[in-house]
Amino acid sequence: MIELAQGKELIQKIKEKINPGYDFEVVLTEEKFELTRFAESYIHQNVAESTLHLTLKVIIGDRIGSVRVDNLDKAAIFEGLQKAINIAHIVPPLNFTYRLIPHQNYNIQGKYSKDTANLSPKKKARIVKQIILGVGQEGFKAAGAFSSEQNTMMVGNSKGLFALDKNTKVDFNCVITKDGSTAQASFLDYDINHFKVDSIINELLETGLRNTEQIDLEPGIYTVILSPEATSDILNYTGYMAFNGKAIKEGKSFVCNYENEKIFPDIINLADDPFDELALPIPFDVVGYPREKVYLIEKGIVRDGVYDYLTALKYNQKCTGNTLSGEDASWGALPFNLALEGGTVSRDEMISRTERGILISRLHYVNVLNPMSAQLTGMTRDGTFLVEDGKISKAIKNMRFNTSVIDMFKAVDLISREREAKAGWVGSTVAPYIRTNNFTFSSKTSF
Amino acid sequence: MKKILKNVLDWLSTKASYADIRFVQLEEEKIVAENGILSSYNLSTDRGVGIRVLANGAWGFASTYDLREEILLKTAEKALKIAQASTLCKKDDIQLAPQDKQLDKYITPIYKDPFQVSSAEKIDLLVKSTKAMLKDKVKKSEGVLNFFKTFKIFISTEGSEIEQTIFESGGGINAYAIGERDFQRRSYPSSFDGDYATRGYEFIEEMDLLKNAERIAEEANQLLVAPYAPEGVMDIVLGGSQLALQVHESCGHPAELDRVLGKEISFAGGSFLTLDKLNTFTYGSSQVNIVADATVPGGLGTFGFDDEGVPASRSYLVKQGKFVGYLTSREDAFKLGIPSNGAARAQSWNHIPLVRMTNINLLPGNFGWDELLDGIKKGLYLDCNKSWSIDDKRLNFQFGTEIAREVKNGKVGKWYKNAFYQGITPEFWKSCDGVADQKYWRVWGVNNCGKGQPEQLMHVGHGTSPARFRKIKVGASR
Repeated sequence: MIELAQGKELIQKIKEKINPGYDFEVVLTEEKFELTRFAESYIHQNVAESTLHLTLKVIIGDRIGSVRVDNLDKAAIFEGLQKAINIAHIVPPLNFTYRLIPHQNYNIQGKYSKDTANLSPKKKARIVKQIILGVGQEGFKAAGAFSSEQNTMMVGNSKGLFALDKNTKVDFNCVITKDGSTAQASFLDYDINHFKVDSIINELLETGLRNTEQIDLEPGIYTVILSPEATSDILNYTGYMAFNGKAIKEGKSFVCNYENEKIFPDIINLADDPFDELALPIPFDVVGYPREKVYLIEKGIVRDGVYDYLTALKYNQKCTGNTLSGEDASWGALPFNLALEGGTVSRDEMISRTERGILISRLHYVNVLNPMSAQLTGMTRDGTFLVEDGKISKAIKNMRFNTSVIDMFKAVDLISREREAKAGWVGSTVAPYIRTNNFTFSSKTSF
Repeated sequence: MKKILKNVLDWLSTKASYADIRFVQLEEEKIVAENGILSSYNLSTDRGVGIRVLANGAWGFASTYDLREEILLKTAEKALKIAQASTLCKKDDIQLAPQDKQLDKYITPIYKDPFQVSSAEKIDLLVKSTKAMLKDKVKKSEGVLNFFKTFKIFISTEGSEIEQTIFESGGGINAYAIGERDFQRRSYPSSFDGDYATRGYEFIEEMDLLKNAERIAEEANQLLVAPYAPEGVMDIVLGGSQLALQVHESCGHPAELDRVLGKEISFAGGSFLTLDKLNTFTYGSSQVNIVADATVPGGLGTFGFDDEGVPASRSYLVKQGKFVGYLTSREDAFKLGIPSNGAARAQSWNHIPLVRMTNINLLPGNFGWDELLDGIKKGLYLDCNKSWSIDDKRLNFQFGTEIAREVKNGKVGKWYKNAFYQGITPEFWKSCDGVADQKYWRVWGVNNCGKGQPEQLMHVGHGTSPARFRKIKVGASR
C-alpha cells in the first residue's frame, strides 16, 4: 500500500512536470479487498482484489480537465496529465470560480487494525465453518459474506494541500434458513478482534428459532420497532433523498420546506458524524476538505444538508467535506457517516413497553417513492414479529411498506441505548432501535 | 499481454484442475451537463487481470491491476491459496458443464466509434439540450452521455482463447419542473441516465436529444399541475421502457439459477422459480414469451462470449406462459445436467463471473397500439420508471412511473402524477392479455443492474413492446 513518502514524491513529480501556470488536484485510492462468500453451508466464492485509481485534475483558469488512470507508472501518469490538460483546453468554462483548498489540519483519522489487514482467507474460512456448525446444530443452513479490506486515500494539490489516510474494515453478514424460517445478523467494524462468533450464532438462532409459523397480518398503520439494521436502511435512504445540499438548493428535498423548523420530537438527533465512537470515519473528502460533525436534525429541528465543494462554491455555502469522486460529482453530496443519537431505554424495555406493535429485523429493496413527502417503499424480511402485551408473540409473513419518513420520525417516542454500526452508502451508519407509532404497510406476501 | 497470460496459465495448469485468466481494459468517457452548462467531464482507463482457479474441487480467485509477469504469478499463487482455504468449508467438488474450446475474436459492430467523435461535439449536444429544457417551471435540467470500450482476453486451461472488443454508448436527458412543495421529473428516452446499447455514436444521434428536449420539459410542466393518479384496481397498458424494468425485476432476476440455488440469499435474495417449477409452472398468460438472447443486435447484454468462454446464445425462459428455462453459469448448469446458456458475466477484471442477465426480451405479440387501448374502458397508460422495489423471492413488486395517462374508452387522455402499481409476479403476468407487435418492439439498455457481494453492476438489455394487463392495483404517492 502507498506510504506517506511515496505520496509526497508523486505530488512532487507532477509539480515538476506540469506548467507552473496550471493548478492541479490529485486523488489516489488503493484498496486490498478479500471476501469469502458462503451459501447452503459451504464456501462458493472466495476472492481477492487489489485495485488502484489515480485521478488527475488540471485547472486552467475556470476550466477543469479530469482523467483517471489505473496505475502509478510514470508514463501512465504523464499521459493522463497531458489528457487532463487537453480536456481543460476544450471544455467550456465554469460559471463560478474554482479555488483550490490550501493546507488543512485534520482532527480525525481512519481506524486501522493490523490484524484486520493480515486476516487470511484461511482464518476467514475457519470462522465461517464455526458459524455453519453452530447454526447447523439447530438444523439451519447458513449463507453470507465475510470480507476484510485495507484502504488508502491520498489527496494533494498544487497549493500545498496533502492528506493521506489508511483504514481497515471487516464486514460480515449471514442469513440462516430452515424450512420457512430465516434470520439475519451482521457485523461491521475496523478490527477483526471485535468479532464474536458466539454472539453472532446466538443472535441468528434467537431470531431463526422464533421466526416460524408466520401469520398473515392485514396492511395498515402500525406501531413498529425497527432494529438497527432496519433503522440504518431508512437512514441511508433518507440521507440520499433529503440531505444532499445540492438537492436542497434546487428545491428537490423536503428539507427546503422545513429548514430550521421543529417538526420532530426532541429525541431525534441525526448527524453526519465522523467523530461518533462507533463510526468508521472518513477524515476528509476527495478535495481534501476536513470532515466535521454536521447536524441534519437537531433536537427535532430540521437543519440543513451536507455540501460538496462544487455546490458550496456555486451557492456560496460552507463545504462540509462531503465531496464525491469525479464520476458521481454531479449528484452533489451524500452524508458519509450518518449517526442517530441513542436514547435512554434498552431494546428489551422498548418491547416490554409496547402493547401492540411489530418488530422488524430487516428491510429489503428499499427505494424512494416520493422525495418531497420523503416516502419510501420496501419489504420486510428475515424476521418480522408481532409484539403483544410487551412480549414478542408471533412471527409475521413479510409485508410491503409505503411510508413517509417525515410521518415516521414525527411519531418516534422511544430510541434505544444500544446502537450498532451498519453499512452506509459511503462510510458507516450508526443506528439504534427506534419505536414509531406511524408506519404504513400497503400489502402483504404469502411467505 | 497474451503471452504473459499464457505463461501464467501454463504454470497454473499443473496445479489446478481448471483455471481461466481474464485481462480486461476498460476505457470510459462520461459527460454531464446541467442547465446548459457542462458540470463534469471524466475520462478513465481501468486495466487488470483476474485469475480463477478450481483446485481440490473448490474455487479461488485473485486479481490485480499490476500487470508485471512476476506479480501475475504471485496473484495466481494467491488464487490457489484461496482455493485451498475454500476446501475447509466444501460440500461437493465443484464441476463444470462441458464446453468446447473456443478460439475466436468478437467486435461489436458499430458505424461510428464514439471515442473518435470530438468531445466538443458531445459537450455541445448536452449543453444545448439541457438549455432547451429550461422552460416555465423547469428550473433544473440534466443530460448525460456515457461511452465504454472494453477489450477482453479470455484464456483457459481447456484451450479457449477469446478476444472481444465491446463498444457501448448511452445517455439521456431529464427535466425537473419545480414547484412550491413538489417537483416532477420527465426523462428521455428513459430514466436513470437514459438508454444504452452496444452500438456506436449513431445510437446517440438517433435519440435526437435536442429535438426531444422541449417536449420533455413541457411534459414535466404538465405533470407539476396534474392531479394525483387514481387509486384502485384497473386495467393498465405499460409502455416499453417501464415494461423493460418489469421484465428485469420479475423475470430476469428470478430466472438466475444461482439465486434459485440459494447463493444470493443473504443479500439480493432467492427466487420463487424453484427447481420443481421448471417446465411445470404457469408463469404468465399464453401471450407471454420471454427469451434470454445475448445475440440480438445492439442489445446492451449482447456479446460474443460470456466470461467463462461460452458462446452467446438465445434460449427461452418463458414459452407461451410456461416457465421453461434458467440463466446459467457452467457450474450451476452442471447441477441441472444441462449445458450453460452463457450467462456468466463479470463486471470487470477484479470480479468473478456470476449468473447475470444478458438481453431478457419479452417477444412481440400481435396487437396494434390502438388495439391494446381499445380494450380498455377505464384505465391507465404507464411508462418510464421512477421507483422500483420487489421482495427477496421476486413476487411482491411495486413500480412508480413518470408517465401516467388516463385511458378512457380506448383513448389516451389527461396526465396524472405520482402513479404506482403493485402486484404479485405470476398473477400479474397471467393478467397480460395483449402484447404489441414487432413495430413497437425495441431493446432497452439498463446500465445499473446490481448483484453479488462485492456488488457488481452489470449492463443488460430488455426487448419489449407495450403490453396490456387486467385488474391491476394502482395508487399514487402523496
